[in-house]
Amino acid sequence: MSARVWRLLVVVLAGAVAGCAEDASQMRFAQNADIAKPVHRKARAVVEKTLEEHFGTPLNSVAWLKLPVNYGKAEGKVKSVDGRSVIVDFNAETSDLESLKSPELSRAGLLFTSGANQGKSFLLASYDASEKSFETLTALETAPAEGDQFVVAGQNLRHGRKLYARHCQHCHGINGDGDGTTAKYLNPRPRDYRLGIFKFTSTNKDTKASRDDLKRIVSQGIPGTYMPAFVPMLKENELAVLIEYVRWLAMRGELEVQLLKDLKNDYAADRARKEAQETKASTSDIEKQIAKQLEEYVANPTEGLAAFIETVTGDMVSAWEGAETADTVIMPPVPRVPDTAESRERGKALFVKTDGGKCINCHGPTGRGNGFQTEDFQKNDATGGFYEKRGLHDSWGEQIKPRDLTRGIYRGGRRPIDLYRRISQGIKGTPMPPVAATVKPEQVWDLVNYVLSVPFESASPKAAKAHSIAGQPNELGNAN
Amino acid sequence: MRKFWCAFFVFWPIVAIIYSLISSLIPSLGWWFPGPSVTELGQRIDNLFYLILYIVTAVFIGTQIAMGYVLWRASHSKDERAWFSHGSHSLEVIWSVVPSVILLFLALYQMDVWALFRVQAYFPKEAREAPVAEVTARQFEWRIRYPAPGKKLQLKPQPDDLYDVNDLHVPINRPVMIQLRSEDVQHSFFLPHLRVKQDAVPGQIIPIWFKAERQGLFDLTCAELCGWGHYKMRAQLTAETEVEYEAYLKKLQADQNYDGHATPSAVAKKDE
Repeated sequence: MSARVWRLLVVVLAGAVAGCAEDASQMRFAQNADIAKPVHRKARAVVEKTLEEHFGTPLNSVAWLKLPVNYGKAEGKVKSVDGRSVIVDFNAETSDLESLKSPELSRAGLLFTSGANQGKSFLLASYDASEKSFETLTALETAPAEGDQFVVAGQNLRHGRKLYARHCQHCHGINGDGDGTTAKYLNPRPRDYRLGIFKFTSTNKDTKASRDDLKRIVSQGIPGTYMPAFVPMLKENELAVLIEYVRWLAMRGELEVQLLKDLKNDYAADRARKEAQETKASTSDIEKQIAKQLEEYVANPTEGLAAFIETVTGDMVSAWEGAETADTVIMPPVPRVPDTAESRERGKALFVKTDGGKCINCHGPTGRGNGFQTEDFQKNDATGGFYEKRGLHDSWGEQIKPRDLTRGIYRGGRRPIDLYRRISQGIKGTPMPPVAATVKPEQVWDLVNYVLSVPFESASPKAAKAHSIAGQPNELGNAN
Repeated sequence: MRKFWCAFFVFWPIVAIIYSLISSLIPSLGWWFPGPSVTELGQRIDNLFYLILYIVTAVFIGTQIAMGYVLWRASHSKDERAWFSHGSHSLEVIWSVVPSVILLFLALYQMDVWALFRVQAYFPKEAREAPVAEVTARQFEWRIRYPAPGKKLQLKPQPDDLYDVNDLHVPINRPVMIQLRSEDVQHSFFLPHLRVKQDAVPGQIIPIWFKAERQGLFDLTCAELCGWGHYKMRAQLTAETEVEYEAYLKKLQADQNYDGHATPSAVAKKDE
């Protein structure tokens, strides 16, 4: 058989077994109905276009320099070419992204700076820093020769996307909305990044999650949820690019949410219908008017869309950059108060005090997570009304339970410092409040000592006795 | 067509012989089974496996060649009549007794290895008495609980227990036992380099012992399809010297008690 027939056979067979391969045609950042539905479709299209311009598509992402994302950049020269795969030598990995300002590079990822392809930019299909190779998305018309210089940029985003697609997307969704295909089977739900809020952080209550926080979660997992630990499967450099991609998705989501929220005020989905009822004008006239207003809004350089994006991204950038500065990381001003019976007693007294830490209101008198607030109707700050269902809700509108502290499962980490941060700064996006303003650091430590002792508290005096001689009867290992 | 079947049945034993020869003569090709086991018991398991493989190979080649011969002879001479053996008492005795003897031999021969691997009463005493860790499989990770240095592992978590995930550390050159549990569905604790494989069954605590004989990082994977994230259960076994093992536990302890002021270890530092 000729080589061509063989190749065809291989392609057909590969296609038949490639059930898990990415379907490029379906890879797009879709707007979710939950935030987009109340917005007029023309305004939605504006948002879509804006995001496309600044972030691109999953397979053709744009490294928008405005954002504090480490997109990665490297220069090098071609060593050999094997079809579409190019083996290279890197001169240096540089963090200087100035040249990314050229629109070709920020979009395409690869630009030849010498040789037959000089000045031409190409989309990268894959990039592997350790293998020192890359592949272009479309075939190179003129193959690069040995020694051709090039610069690649945004490779972290591309490498990160591949890892994200493989390990994260099925729960967290293509655009990070926490609505991937397996998400509906999970409780708690996977995180929706689009609010830019991550729960378990080391930073203070007003700051975003730092890279280290995200890294800790991805590498250690979250016990008590479906988030598994990804180390040692993912290596250090893979973790780093994956986290950049997640941060980038979160920023994209934030901008999307903010834009839609803002446009909803003037361009609600039912605006044409409502106005038509009120003014008796024809719907098509109003539609035309909406289109015109939108056009003006997009074109207005000082008060229009551009200005709004400027403000939102400005805030976002300083928030994300702030999370990386040392002074936003919560470090207890005093060392842990020795874990004594007295300290635990003091902690417990604070825990049950209804005008102190107020822990009891949600976590209940014995820390089982059954405080009275879990049976009450709660106010919804987003709408001003009350939630339909009783119990606590988080910023994503999901019903959540206060932690049952008797189980000894600590989602945000079990180290004393983790608990200190949780108690002192609260948990972002949840009703768990920061107590730092009213409770002294020493008292927070008392609370930590008490909370850590709850799983070992004895329910009855009889059990207390059994516990004190533990080690003999319930010792493992000598069954036979 | 008669010739075809004849050739067909002879072809496979020839392939088997050639493959066995090449793979054992040129080990660098990597066609043979994985290299030597990290544990002595694993080596004995391998030996059992190879014994069975040799018997099966001999039987396979023998029967295929016999079949090829019969077909070839029948396709050549039209005059020779077939001999119908149906009902032959002595033949039936032969093909019942010979495999029975082989199977009985295997059943008895492997008993001590099996007992050592599976029956708790035969586990080395020092491993049995002081399990080093409790490994809890869950979708999709391995959560590990060690007793504090100098303490014994208890059935219930203790305040000073140490925790890690996806990285099981064990000392080398001494038998160690772990307690295997599952939090949700069935998983399988698989250490391919150590020839250890044991299902983790929800509701049960299953002891496993092994004695790593050299240092290194070895795969710890799940060998039971446990859900859509099955592949994510790729952890590692760190076999290290007693000194390194102690140091690891100390570091874990320091990490776990980190309050932002205590001498932070490497991991804690990163977190700052």
